[in-house]
Amino acid sequence: MTAGAAPLTAARPAARRARRLPGGTRPGASHYALLAPAQILLVGIILLPAIYVAWMSLQKVSFGADPVFVGLENYRALLADSVFWRAAWNTFLVVNAVVYGELLLGLGLALLVSGWMPYRKIVIALLIAPYAINEVSAVAMWRFVLEPDIGMVNWAMLQIGLGQLDWSADPADALVLAALLSIWIHTPFTFLILYAALQSVPQEIKEAATVDGANAWQSFRHVTLPFILPALLVALVFRYITAMRIFSEIWLLTEGGPARMTEVLAVYLYRAAFRYHEFGLASATAFAMVLLSLAVAAPYLYAAWLKMFRHA
Amino acid sequence: MDIKRRNALAAGTALAAAALARPAIAQTRKFVIMSHAVHRNVSTGARGGDSTAAWRQRNNLEIEWLTFGVEAVHERLYREAQLSQGGVDMAFILERYGGPHIAPLFEDLRPYMDAAPIEKLDEISPSMLAAHTYRGKLIGIPFRHATHGFFTNNVMARERGVTQVPQSFEEVIAAADKLTYTRDGARVAGYALSMDDPSALMDIIRAHGGDFITRDYRFVADQPQAVAAIALVRDWYRRGVLPRNVMTFKTEEVITAMQQGRAALTNQPFGRIVNYNDPRGSRFPGEISVANIPMMESVAGRKGALVPAKTSVWAMAIPSNSPDKQRAWSLIRELSSVESTIRAAVNGNGPVRMSAYDDPRVRELAPYADLERRVLPTAQLTVPGFDQAGRAMDIFMEEVQKAMLGAAEPQAAMNAAKSRIEPLLPS
Repeated sequence: MTAGAAPLTAARPAARRARRLPGGTRPGASHYALLAPAQILLVGIILLPAIYVAWMSLQKVSFGADPVFVGLENYRALLADSVFWRAAWNTFLVVNAVVYGELLLGLGLALLVSGWMPYRKIVIALLIAPYAINEVSAVAMWRFVLEPDIGMVNWAMLQIGLGQLDWSADPADALVLAALLSIWIHTPFTFLILYAALQSVPQEIKEAATVDGANAWQSFRHVTLPFILPALLVALVFRYITAMRIFSEIWLLTEGGPARMTEVLAVYLYRAAFRYHEFGLASATAFAMVLLSLAVAAPYLYAAWLKMFRHA
Repeated sequence: MDIKRRNALAAGTALAAAALARPAIAQTRKFVIMSHAVHRNVSTGARGGDSTAAWRQRNNLEIEWLTFGVEAVHERLYREAQLSQGGVDMAFILERYGGPHIAPLFEDLRPYMDAAPIEKLDEISPSMLAAHTYRGKLIGIPFRHATHGFFTNNVMARERGVTQVPQSFEEVIAAADKLTYTRDGARVAGYALSMDDPSALMDIIRAHGGDFITRDYRFVADQPQAVAAIALVRDWYRRGVLPRNVMTFKTEEVITAMQQGRAALTNQPFGRIVNYNDPRGSRFPGEISVANIPMMESVAGRKGALVPAKTSVWAMAIPSNSPDKQRAWSLIRELSSVESTIRAAVNGNGPVRMSAYDDPRVRELAPYADLERRVLPTAQLTVPGFDQAGRAMDIFMEEVQKAMLGAAEPQAAMNAAKSRIEPLLPS
């Protein structure tokens, strides 16, 4: 190979290189055939329903009548509805509280369990137990113990001078409780991802940092964090997307009340579809939620694309 | 190929099994009813007897009951009825979920009635039939009503010196005040209301002489009578006459509060007396009584006038895509007969025929029969059916709750409700 050949190879378009198999051969029909079932599944269960929802969002659809094309009317109705904006704002608040709350709690617990910890397996089992509890059961249980008049936790809070969490009448308290419930239920997911990531941090590098005089914070900041950052991002994006669909915590606690002040987007969608039977409006809401999720995921997806293809 | 004895025997056995199985396959089609569980229970209950038994025997058919919660039953039914080919033969629908928009999904029952009439149709209240009639098309034959009465915990009433059943709504207000107290260290709310929809609130509004949406689709909850009722509810909420978490109350929470002695008075369907006095769930078995809801004396001009209590009417309907419409009609005729109405009433149903209240079996098991019969002729639906009824009720409750929370004055809240609900009403 000549000296000038290497830069030429490096300058080859990334896309062409990506279509090569490890042996340098081009993928043939058999390769595409093997990939096809997964692609068909994705198209069938994600793309086609998404297209159908997009189509419905442009129609006036209800029971007992044929769909009527109304253009962007459903989106106009959505944007003109103050309840939708309140639901969007509540979703924004709750989702951020939940995602960052879980991230901090999950990271703290993962660091704690990664260090010296007696009965580690039992502790881990206890930490992930909430994730095994059905959401409906969990909300019903917490609702009962936090009942304003007879709830044990509310009573205990009152006795020690903390006051009551007046979630049945105060929208702010209701949203706080919904966020706490969601954190309680879903933190094990974040904890497990981060705990697994922490196990992959090489011990010798941490030891080297200690030898070089790094304190615990510096070791975490400059050694551990860079290693677990990809896992942290994955947990962040996954939870953002799933938290955006928050429904059962709010629905089972307040049904969006009082006065629809604790409604979130999924509850708004549910009412439109299953109480008012306005499937066009419900589809427009669903599409708005998809766009919001995409907006949240876009920076991560762009970063991932850059990492996988631009530098490939 | 050799034909061996074992092979021949096996082939013969398989053929015989197939031949025997054919009639079984032919009979696997069941008659499908989509409903709430209560309809199955009152139609087939042991206490009054199974009203479907004779029909099943005559038709050599089994019934498959697909039962769901109230909201789910309608959502699934309408979805099913939209299909070109349906699997539901007959269904039960509640007037609140009906409206002209869903009428095309169901058979017009008038031609069926002409061909094979229902026994003594004139015994069924015209207002109940009207609740399931849209633009002249009758889509349901009334089967069950749930009409509200006024419940009192007598133990607490005695403790607090409430000695008489209130004869006016002013007396109800005074009783609710007296019955708001602390008992054995626990707070007792004088009154409990379900607030997931306006049905319970309607009795209080109508006791003041007001209404929400009239039968000719006019919004009138901004009138002084209704506003006064909402001001009362706000006052009750502020002073703790209503439970602190009343805004999350559905029927189930009201039942629990009454059973546990956390509330002393409420307005609910008469049939709930069974739940309130059930020794398995109630701390006050036999001590919770029911009466009619009285009007405000200042509105009626006299004591003892009754509120046109809130009622709701379930009816039997045939989806337009029902696989067996004639059989569905024959079962509707069977279940709406005089005898079946009595049997269902004994099983706990609210009978849609007045004559059922005269039957000794019903009178024995439903001690409130006379009270219920007295109020039925004037009972009113929460709202008349229209396609945006669900949204209108949600907006109304949203504004009422804003008034209760102090986010708006009652009059301002009702003005806001008017501006949002009027565009939804049929013109």
